[in-house]
Amino acid sequence: MNDTLFAQLSTLGASLVLLFGIILLWRRSLMAYVRAFQQQSAVLAALFVVVGYFGQAPELYVVAVILFALKVILIPRLLHRMQNQVGIGYEATPYLNVASSVIVAGLLVLLAYVLTRPVVLTSTLPTRGGLPLAVGLIFVGLFVIITRKKALAQVVGFLVLENGIALLAVLGTFGIPLIVELGVFLDLLMGFLVMQVFIYHIQDTFESLDVDRLSELKY
Amino acid sequence: MNFWLLLLPSLLAALLAFTIRPYRAFIGWTSAGLSLVSLGAALAFVAQALEGGPTPTWGFVLGPLHLPDVLRADSLSVLLMVCVAGVATPALFLSPGLWGHTRYTPTQLRRYQIFTNLFIAAMLLAVSANNVGIMWIAIEATTIFSAFVIPLKLNKASIEASWKYILISSVGIALAFVGTVLAYFDYVSRGGEMELALNWPVLKAAAPLLQPEVMQLAFVFLLIGYGTKVGIAPMHTWKPDAYGESPAPLGALMASPLFAVAMYAILRWKAVIDISLRSNFTNNLLFTLGLFSLIVAAFSVVQTTNYKRMLAYSSIEHTGLICFGFALGAPGLFAAMLHLINHTLAKSLMFFVVGDIEDHYNSALIKNVQGMAKLMPWSAGLFTVGLFTLIGLPPFAMFTSEYALFHAGFALHHPWLMGVALALLAIIFISFIKHLTQMLYGSPPQDTVNKTQKWGLAILGINIIILVILGITLPTPVRTLLDQIVAIVI
Repeated sequence: MNDTLFAQLSTLGASLVLLFGIILLWRRSLMAYVRAFQQQSAVLAALFVVVGYFGQAPELYVVAVILFALKVILIPRLLHRMQNQVGIGYEATPYLNVASSVIVAGLLVLLAYVLTRPVVLTSTLPTRGGLPLAVGLIFVGLFVIITRKKALAQVVGFLVLENGIALLAVLGTFGIPLIVELGVFLDLLMGFLVMQVFIYHIQDTFESLDVDRLSELKY
Repeated sequence: MNFWLLLLPSLLAALLAFTIRPYRAFIGWTSAGLSLVSLGAALAFVAQALEGGPTPTWGFVLGPLHLPDVLRADSLSVLLMVCVAGVATPALFLSPGLWGHTRYTPTQLRRYQIFTNLFIAAMLLAVSANNVGIMWIAIEATTIFSAFVIPLKLNKASIEASWKYILISSVGIALAFVGTVLAYFDYVSRGGEMELALNWPVLKAAAPLLQPEVMQLAFVFLLIGYGTKVGIAPMHTWKPDAYGESPAPLGALMASPLFAVAMYAILRWKAVIDISLRSNFTNNLLFTLGLFSLIVAAFSVVQTTNYKRMLAYSSIEHTGLICFGFALGAPGLFAAMLHLINHTLAKSLMFFVVGDIEDHYNSALIKNVQGMAKLMPWSAGLFTVGLFTLIGLPPFAMFTSEYALFHAGFALHHPWLMGVALALLAIIFISFIKHLTQMLYGSPPQDTVNKTQKWGLAILGINIIILVILGITLPTPVRTLLDQIVAIVI
């Protein structure tokens, strides 16, 4: 009984997390990107609590708290501050239009199902239903990074990709060892701060956040 | 104790540079001096490994963090420690801000000292970590720290280079983490959750029980991930940009030790996954990507116009060769590890010299650098020796390792692959010689700004001596260490 509830809750949570990732593909304003990332992280933190409760892994509560503080409060705030300084941008002309993007996202999730088939088949975990969704989210994050032109949108894509990995870890293994988890958060925060510094540099030097202007270096 | 001596000096140097502002020359000299302590510790580890006996480990237990052996120094780690510390020392001695004239401001030099030292510490941690998760964290940290140093001079080109570097590397390394998680998932679904399951020896012992299907998927992610950091084609695109724009000592650190560290990560995982798969899956992938790297390198070297980018393409070439070596069983692995040592020596030498050339000519374009032989004979000599090594001319060491590598390839019946590889090496050989003659001869431009000789470059003589010794004979300690590594991995 408990297991069915656990399975249903985890699949529901994973689907919601993926859905917030796909939002990036049909919204244009960077504001919406940040909000989608924030909501996605909130659902993810809740999912950590659910897995911690049903999977009897109390250290996941600690991870959930850190995740919430970092990805729901701190990073979105920094992203908003960045937008205030560099101006609220729109992803006016991504390399691929909305309709095709959403279709590609669907195909990517399908690909994720194919790739993770052996993983799901060999597993007996109640959470296995969500594993393909996690890999799908990783692919969607990659896709966002590749097709968006604004440096800020690429950063959000990267954060979404990170969320996908966290989702995979929590569903597949009920959390990786705590020391690794802490290190990952530290790296994520530092990595984000570096990217933030460079976004300011790009804005100052190129007077735009379009990365197709970054095309001087050849041969 | 030894681990402390290895890891702490660079952290101390970073702290020193952080607390004392503005930058003064003695900070640079102190951090160079401290790096000698690290190098000494690494050499002590080598001596310990050569003696045999138990593998040194270090760990602690603190509340929920139960880490009895978080650091470990087996022969493979020890070799990498020497590669990292051995390049870190000359890099810090030849840093800008130690030798009088410099293009950089004190603020930039302070930032350089802080982050270069942190970068070195992260690489040392990556090779001494027992836990593959911690290894991942340290390698990710290298990206972050080095990204601060590449654009020491802010301009369009350097910002573009570092943005590409940080984005591509971060994404790549994130994919390597997916692979790590998948492997851990596999372990957990076999043996139940365990805090120490990500320790490499534990993982390797459990490998026969792991699910081959899952490990296959994990390896693809790991190879793409760490391969991005190494610069295996087609994940190499950041490399010429980043090498071309970074200050020369950082270029040396990125091109030789960082490259070796990322290769090391691939090798660690390949060892585990090969046991689990019992097939040629990983070897075939490595052959494919290795060949592709050679092709990309050969055709890029031909059309390059910038000598720093030329070195990046040469790096991609050697990536390909080392991938081949990893895939060619025990003799191939022996050759590949020897090649890794030689590459570290030769490529770091090249980047240090190139830094001097760039200071002289104020340009990284081949067409602007003419008459080197007349204008700066000593540097020109070092440059020529380094370049001859990189293209595999005897009596320098890369000839030996490449010979051993191709020998292993033909012995294992890959004549076509090896034939194509040799043809590609010939293309690279010819274009390198062409670029070299362009730079050595001709009339030097009249308005070269800076004519001071950097006598510190004399320490690169050590690199050349080792390269020649390794080219003529294989000393017993090196052979023993490499044999131990092959025994550990296969």
